[in-house]
Amino acid sequence: MKPFWILIKYEWLNFRAYRGLVILSTLALVAGLYGIYYGTTEVERQRENIAGLEVLTQHNVAEMKTKYPSEADAGDIGYYHSTFAVHHPDSWASLSLGQRDVNPYYIKLRLLNLQSQLYDSENINPLKVLSGNFDLAFVLVYLFPLLIIGLCFNILSIEKEQGTLPLLLSQPISLPLIVGAKLTFRMMVVLGMALLLSIVAMVWGAVVPDARIALWLGVVVLYCVFWFGMAFLVAALQKNSAFNAVTLLGVWLLLTIIIPALLNVYVSIRQPVPQALALTIKQREVVHGGWDKPKRETMEAFFVRYPQYRDTAEIQGRFAWKWYYAFHLLGDIAVEDLAKEYQSSLQARHDLVQNLNVLSVPVNVQGIFNAMAGSDLPSYLQFLQSATHYHDTLREFYYPFLFKQVGFTHADYAREPRHSFTSTSDMPSAKNGLVKLLLSVLVVFAAGLLLFRWKEASVK
Amino acid sequence: MKFALEARQLKKQYQDKLALKGLDLQIEPGEIFCLLGQNGAGKSTTINLFLGFIRPTSGAAYINGLEVAANPIKVKEYLAYIPENVMLYPNLTGLENLALFSNLASFDYSQEELMTYLVQAGLPGEAAKRKVGAYSKGMRQKVGIAIAVAKHAKVLLLDEPTSGLDPKASNEFSELLLQLSANGTAIFMATHDIFRAKEVGTRVGIMREGELVDLLGTTELNANELEKLYLNYMHA
Repeated sequence: MKPFWILIKYEWLNFRAYRGLVILSTLALVAGLYGIYYGTTEVERQRENIAGLEVLTQHNVAEMKTKYPSEADAGDIGYYHSTFAVHHPDSWASLSLGQRDVNPYYIKLRLLNLQSQLYDSENINPLKVLSGNFDLAFVLVYLFPLLIIGLCFNILSIEKEQGTLPLLLSQPISLPLIVGAKLTFRMMVVLGMALLLSIVAMVWGAVVPDARIALWLGVVVLYCVFWFGMAFLVAALQKNSAFNAVTLLGVWLLLTIIIPALLNVYVSIRQPVPQALALTIKQREVVHGGWDKPKRETMEAFFVRYPQYRDTAEIQGRFAWKWYYAFHLLGDIAVEDLAKEYQSSLQARHDLVQNLNVLSVPVNVQGIFNAMAGSDLPSYLQFLQSATHYHDTLREFYYPFLFKQVGFTHADYAREPRHSFTSTSDMPSAKNGLVKLLLSVLVVFAAGLLLFRWKEASVK
Repeated sequence: MKFALEARQLKKQYQDKLALKGLDLQIEPGEIFCLLGQNGAGKSTTINLFLGFIRPTSGAAYINGLEVAANPIKVKEYLAYIPENVMLYPNLTGLENLALFSNLASFDYSQEELMTYLVQAGLPGEAAKRKVGAYSKGMRQKVGIAIAVAKHAKVLLLDEPTSGLDPKASNEFSELLLQLSANGTAIFMATHDIFRAKEVGTRVGIMREGELVDLLGTTELNANELEKLYLNYMHA
């Protein structure tokens, strides 16, 4: 047997004998399984909620039919009848929930002004959001580095501290071979666990089998290898175990907490995002102001957007639904620029983070996972755009009833447009992140190798 | 002639301290060379240079005719080493530790053969199957001896090898050295033990402040004379 494999065999014997290491590895495995359970349960819950929305819509239609047993004014239906824009999770979302817990995955819509409805989400428990998602991506990105640190902080120093290095090095083997074999054994343990958990999550979550399987597994391997590289780099300093442990934990703290927090502050300052509340307030002012404006003025402004209804009957009396919906539309038009600015600011903020995530490998990897699972901010923005488009189709469905004074029959409910949006993966972003990750791995290993060559090996 | 061990103008400088001042030494196969000296005299530095653990500042160390610095892995096929404190993997048994180091030296012994080496080194058979974490220093030292013997090396480097051994075990160890020497193994032993050096050594060197100040055959004088000579050098 080659010395490399002999060392690996005895590493296994040593590993098996250290109860602490076995417990640590088991805990990581259990955390991973819980992460998979959490992710699949959460996605299942969201799917059930989305399925429940269809029931709610049907229930609402039944109520409307009871309330309006015969032909009804479409204005009444548009006001009282609600439907939903829904954001279905991608099958990969159970592995990386991303922002699906903070951004609404359905929006209740009526024919009224859109913008206030887009951001009128249900209340959520901020403490629950604060604690974040305990999905597989979280376990792999934040907890697995701790496992790797626990297994590797004393990879070389323990040989010095327990005094076995002189005897080892008096055999025909080199120090890099010893470190390499120890590192390889630990990589086999950790990567075995990480890949096993990933495969279990894919099967459990019934993911769509496509190129993302290879990409996910590749990212998991590279990310773990990055942390092994970090342990290798610190081992190359040839300090004692306490120094190594503190240094590696410091690096973990820096990369997973401090840099992301600083990035958050920097990005908030550099790329401010206008509040959705300001947008909503402005829209409300315009909509409410619509009551006091001359109807002709309102309708003229409306006909600029919908000239096909210019030749329809003029409004008579104090109230008409078409006039009511017209000034709601004008409310949306009044904040169109603000709404675009709000969404483009969010996208710009996301892009800025994408550019800066090279400073923190965990942030980069979390971004890759979210992009692959379609659970990132751009997916949510696409959903908002899809919901906006859906609201436009609702208007186009109802306006002929309103302006051509056609009665809304029970059969028309079935003709009402329905919305469905399923996020898709952002593979270009994921691949871009993969390249950055690969570079990070090369940098840490190159630095470790240079340090090993530069520093004279000491056996004590 | 190819010497088992050779040092040519071997120097080692540690920042502001010259630890070894141009050592010239040749040791033939079958010879037992004992190097005497106080702590810090340069004995361990010499051994570390032969082991390739440290790089010489100038000069060269040779094992079996190969320069250590140029062939750091190859030379280790020819040498075995017993440090002052043999430290082993505490979670492995004596047998497993011996198997590990023998495997690394390309020897694949059966369990019976491994047990024979350990018992020959003085370790009780039942202890060999226990984890090393519970061993005394003397027991670990015996496993270290077994590791060295099982390697069948041409050169044996010993750094205070009998440290921690009881007198009986030390005596058995001396006999083992004589036996290995008779089989052609060159032995280089750094020690404080003048009497052991006189007993087993063929030549004795006295080292002081990184310099080999005297080199004599053990037949030239008795143990008391050697002690006096040694003390004279130390107090000079």
